[in-house]
Amino acid sequence: MLTRVAAGGLLLSSLWIAGCSDEQPAAPTAPYDEAQARQVVSHYGELALAVYSDALSEARALQSAIDALLAQPDEATLAAARDAWRAARVPYMQTEVFRFGNRVVDEWEGQVNAWPLDEGLIDYVDDDYQAVMGNPGARANIIASESLTIGEQRLDLSDLNGELLASLNELGGSEVNVATGYHAIEFLLWGQDLNGTEAGAGQRPATDFATGAEATGGHNARRRAYLQAVTNLLIADLEFMVAQWQPGAENYRAELEADAVKNGLRKMLFGMGSLSLGELAGERMKVALAAHSPEDEHDCFSDNTHFSHFYNGKGIRNVYLGEYQRVNGDTVSGPSLSDLVAARDTAADRALKQELTASEAALQGLVDSAANGTHFDQLIAPGNAEGAALINGAIEALVQQTGGIEKAALVLDIQALNPDTADHQF
Amino acid sequence: MRAVMIALVAVLLSACSNPREEVTEQLAHQVLLPAHQQWHDSNAALLVATQGYCADELDGPALKQGFYRVLQSWSYLQPLMVGPMAEGNRSWQVQFWPDKRNMVARQVEALLDASSPLSQEALEGASVVVQGLSAFEYVLFDEAVDLDTRSDRYCPLLTGIARHQQALSKAVLELWEGPQGMAAMLVDFPNQRYASADEALSLILRTQITAVDVLKKKLGTPMGRLNKGVPQPWQAEAWRSQHSIGNLQASLAGARAVWEQVRSLVGDAQLVSRIDSGYENTAQKLAGLPAPLVELVQNKENLPRLQSLYDSLDNLENLQQVELAKDLGIQLGFNANDGD
Repeated sequence: MLTRVAAGGLLLSSLWIAGCSDEQPAAPTAPYDEAQARQVVSHYGELALAVYSDALSEARALQSAIDALLAQPDEATLAAARDAWRAARVPYMQTEVFRFGNRVVDEWEGQVNAWPLDEGLIDYVDDDYQAVMGNPGARANIIASESLTIGEQRLDLSDLNGELLASLNELGGSEVNVATGYHAIEFLLWGQDLNGTEAGAGQRPATDFATGAEATGGHNARRRAYLQAVTNLLIADLEFMVAQWQPGAENYRAELEADAVKNGLRKMLFGMGSLSLGELAGERMKVALAAHSPEDEHDCFSDNTHFSHFYNGKGIRNVYLGEYQRVNGDTVSGPSLSDLVAARDTAADRALKQELTASEAALQGLVDSAANGTHFDQLIAPGNAEGAALINGAIEALVQQTGGIEKAALVLDIQALNPDTADHQF
Repeated sequence: MRAVMIALVAVLLSACSNPREEVTEQLAHQVLLPAHQQWHDSNAALLVATQGYCADELDGPALKQGFYRVLQSWSYLQPLMVGPMAEGNRSWQVQFWPDKRNMVARQVEALLDASSPLSQEALEGASVVVQGLSAFEYVLFDEAVDLDTRSDRYCPLLTGIARHQQALSKAVLELWEGPQGMAAMLVDFPNQRYASADEALSLILRTQITAVDVLKKKLGTPMGRLNKGVPQPWQAEAWRSQHSIGNLQASLAGARAVWEQVRSLVGDAQLVSRIDSGYENTAQKLAGLPAPLVELVQNKENLPRLQSLYDSLDNLENLQQVELAKDLGIQLGFNANDGD
């Protein structure tokens, strides 16, 4: 009897499947033209090459400006170096969409753009400076110290070179010990922003780099050496990454293009969605806003956060449309994800394009606000309802857009989005 | 028997009810809504306990019991937070973690320095860091706070937080109930939230799997997985109240409650038993931990044990994220931890 009931149950469920299945089996046609998709992935490599090349050339311009600052430290050369840093961020922030999904970038990125940092590792800080709990390097002050003892380890810091500085990243295991990259340079050029959620960025005087009687800050020869070494390292790192995207070489791009085309598309979409939702909307905006925490602001020394966010968003759009406007004004364009999606579902393509436009407008709102004197760290101040609304609007637009990216992925028959686990068998 | 069978077949064929709709309905009424109710009840009890403590009618240990109960119900709820709790910044108002820079201590003391005695209005206008359980825990457990002698300073904050949490959970519960409430959105499709049961189910699973991913983070961060293996005990969740492992257990139980309902939809029987044993193994390893997480991570001898727990969570996440999603034919989409 029990057996019969069980068998009846089985029969019932199969009847259900036969009788109730109103879902049509997936159409046997391919979700995209394989050859066209291959061109899309290849053009993605071309975009990466262009944007990393621009990041490199702008970093070289930054290096020249820093050389000029060190040759003659005054407010004019310092201002020029700060401008060059801001300009260098324009292409770099557009590269970040390549970070998620492409392991070669993600593993390299820490040395280049790690954030947030306990800046007391690098140089002098204010007495009120708040570091991460239990960070042994929080007040190490590399610039003021010829040697450093962490636990049982004694480190010789007498010669400040790129290799040494890179080895000090994540010192004592703390991820906020960041000795290199854009944000270390930013701290050296601006200093701490002591204004909290009030107006104003870091106010480091140019005389912190002077060696004569007017010198301020202390240990200026070492500060100069640090700035030079960390800038040289940034350039070497960007050179490495440009080489990874050159065509016709034995490098990451060759691997990507040789891989199954579906994996290439998956990486493109995963990079877009991860930057859009978890990183930009979440880590870079929502945390800072909800906690009213300027320490969690992305470019907290320079108050350049609005542009960082804007160009992050631009990078997402670039990858979808297969377009990038180079620093010299030229436009790179070619076969795109948008083409593939539109060929199968014009409505999904149109919706995502609209969402990308809407998020760009929302991020432009942050830029406009800064241009009118209210920067990101003021927008997150407690009680600033208007500021919160502006940032929440940008977060919401990015969340919407991420939904559009998911739908576009489904149009291309990509259900598993994370390239690290998509093909994994357990 | 035959007659019953025929009748059943007829009913099934005529109604053509969709088993996924049945599952989302069961999830709504047997798992998700009760978990929200339970969380709200624990908040209401904490408010009473806090008022009692601050009126000298209740002792510290009793207040702590009330706090543990909220932690428990809140942890259970996390894998089940579809809809209202996932919107706005509601969940952020409950707990702020990770708090690497000890913002809780700074913001609590700064707020109390600026506005003492603290008004509810001042608390409502302040940051989420001071409105939730992390700040409550700081006041109740941190060595720097002498609550017994400084209750004049801290009681308005404790009461204010308890009131805020109670109001928050009440508002959320109201959004779940009623004909247009969240629970109804998981019963009849299409509706203003979901085009189909598939869409709703996908969201429920995404929420649950993301929560399992967060459990890895809650364990892995103090273990030092992001820090070259150097333990970070103060980055454990609930390290002050030493309730980290209890939180992990409650969240795992919440995740499992979803799985128990979804199980019937899975075609691959082997996969079902692998996921079942994934939950069982993880729960056993958690139950076997001998001390609070903040202490365990500080002793190297415990590392293999913690690593094995981490691997179990990882396995469980992947079984669901990859194989379960494939079996059910659903896209889980992006979650807030992607790229982390």
